[in-house]
Amino acid sequence: MKNKKKSTEKEFQPKNLAFSMRRVMAIALRTINQFRRDRRTVALLSIVPIVIMLIFGLAFSGEVINLPVLIDNQDSGLGTLIVDNLVNDTRVTLTNGTYEDGISQVENGNYYAVILIPSNFTTSILEMLAGNLTSAQIFIYLDGTKPTIRASLLGALRDAMENAIGGNGVRVVQTLAFGGAEFSGLDTGIPAVIAFVLIFLLVIVGVITLIREKIQGTQDRLYSTPLRSSERLLGYVIGLLLIATIMIALVLIFGVFVFGAKVQGNVFLLIFAALLFGMAHVFLAVFLANFAQNELQAIQFAPLTAIPSMALGGLFVPTISLPAWLYPVSYVVPLTYGINLFEGIMLKGWGFKELWLDFTVVAVMCLIFFILAVITVRDRMRD
Amino acid sequence: MTIETEYAIETQDLVKIYKTGKVQAVNGLNLRIKQGEIYALIGANGSGKTTSLNMISGALFPTSGSIKVLGYPIPAKRRLITNYIGLAPQEYSIYEDLTLEENVRFFSRIYGMNKSEFETKFTELLQILRLEEKRKTMVKNLSGGMKRRTSIACSLIHSPKIVFFDEATVGVDPVLRSFFWDYFRSLQDKGVTLVITSHVMDEAERADRIGLMRAGKLIAEGTPEELKKKHNAETVEEIFIKLSEGEVINEE
Repeated sequence: MKNKKKSTEKEFQPKNLAFSMRRVMAIALRTINQFRRDRRTVALLSIVPIVIMLIFGLAFSGEVINLPVLIDNQDSGLGTLIVDNLVNDTRVTLTNGTYEDGISQVENGNYYAVILIPSNFTTSILEMLAGNLTSAQIFIYLDGTKPTIRASLLGALRDAMENAIGGNGVRVVQTLAFGGAEFSGLDTGIPAVIAFVLIFLLVIVGVITLIREKIQGTQDRLYSTPLRSSERLLGYVIGLLLIATIMIALVLIFGVFVFGAKVQGNVFLLIFAALLFGMAHVFLAVFLANFAQNELQAIQFAPLTAIPSMALGGLFVPTISLPAWLYPVSYVVPLTYGINLFEGIMLKGWGFKELWLDFTVVAVMCLIFFILAVITVRDRMRD
Repeated sequence: MTIETEYAIETQDLVKIYKTGKVQAVNGLNLRIKQGEIYALIGANGSGKTTSLNMISGALFPTSGSIKVLGYPIPAKRRLITNYIGLAPQEYSIYEDLTLEENVRFFSRIYGMNKSEFETKFTELLQILRLEEKRKTMVKNLSGGMKRRTSIACSLIHSPKIVFFDEATVGVDPVLRSFFWDYFRSLQDKGVTLVITSHVMDEAERADRIGLMRAGKLIAEGTPEELKKKHNAETVEEIFIKLSEGEVINEE
């Protein structure tokens, strides 16, 4: 017995136990090999960074620019000088109009601001220089719902005054649109968070849910049950929208009661908008799920759909600030209309009257994605 | 639904060529499975067993040939038979992130069963499949054999008239396998038709009839005794090896 033990010990000399670069390389090569086999991943990972770089580079090329502004210059002297300077400022795009009309145009969202240079402006400046007046006045009625836009508008006006007349002593009288709504970054962030929840949660989570069903084999199993594809589709929609509703409710409750955010418009209209927008994305998810074979590929829909749409849909900068050739793209990005709806209702207090067009477009997109989903949802195994 | 046909399942010249890869998975399959029979479809991996089951259950459309299940043409009338068939696929095909009960309940709802119908049948199945204590366990925490049984419970919850078990006894220990067969017999007593696929040959010996599949078609069929006698073999496995090696000329 003793002898035997000894011989066993000899036979099983520990070997190959030291840290081995060979093993390290085995893991490294295997990882690369598996990765190489998934051609779609390879393609995506080489294209996506470039696309994102382009989109972000173009969408965030500095300041908010091209903001449509109405100008009502009643002064023929220095006022003209200010207007000339404003015309050359890329942050704003000027159109002539009247202040009274401009106010309703700003309230409708057609313009971000209307500027009034009163007829006595030059006289006031001269009076000021003579020491008879302390300041001259310029009036601006502007959209104050987004700090970045507000900063660009006021910056453009101040720079124009600075260049024209040195700027000293001119008082800019600001009136904020939408019932004086002035928002902090947090308030303005909430519509964005809602949009983010809807896009990310519903598209990515939706696609993954469907892919999992494919991978687990439950989808194939369901093909031999009485379940109809329409029932399956509707089931996904209801399930995912319920989750989305809870998340939106949480965002709103947290935002309003904890962070003190303001909701100007009707909360129910906001939830309705979110559900409509969400439904479109569930249908989109069902459609996209056809193009992914595994969870890794499903996650890649994030940089392909969510990130570009956030950049091009006006989430970070208004779509009007996009380069001219990229601007038309924003019209086909669903988020453009989602942002209009969420920001319109929450920040500007708009109702259906002002937003009917955006509601219509989202409804049409919902219908298009629904058709795509219905066409591609399977009720039997792939041939 | 009244069932007036002698055969639970009939296929004629069934062919399946997958579009992707152009693989001819099934190549002229002629099956006749009687009602209340336990039929074992056996064959090596890739011989077309699963593809055949998927076509018979209506989930996969054939390239050519005809199928009748309970007298109804498939896939044309496939929806009519869905409530009368149960399929336990080769993979577990259950929801890993749900509990055992939630999985079975989900399928019971898909089959339109109400709560009390579910409770009655589920309690019965838990007992037979020895899963009583795992009722509330997440599927991902179950062993392979238990997942298999959960999958079987999902396919039996609606008391189907025809049951397809695709490699149902893989990963099931011998003791439990014996219980399974007792249960299969009890189902048979109630008039249920069972179609079982397997690549484990001794499994097949317990069936009423065996169909040996190779390259997408039947190469031999009969009761275990008939086959053994005919091919002068001791076991089904021996027959299979003989036929596979081409010692016996293809009978089709």
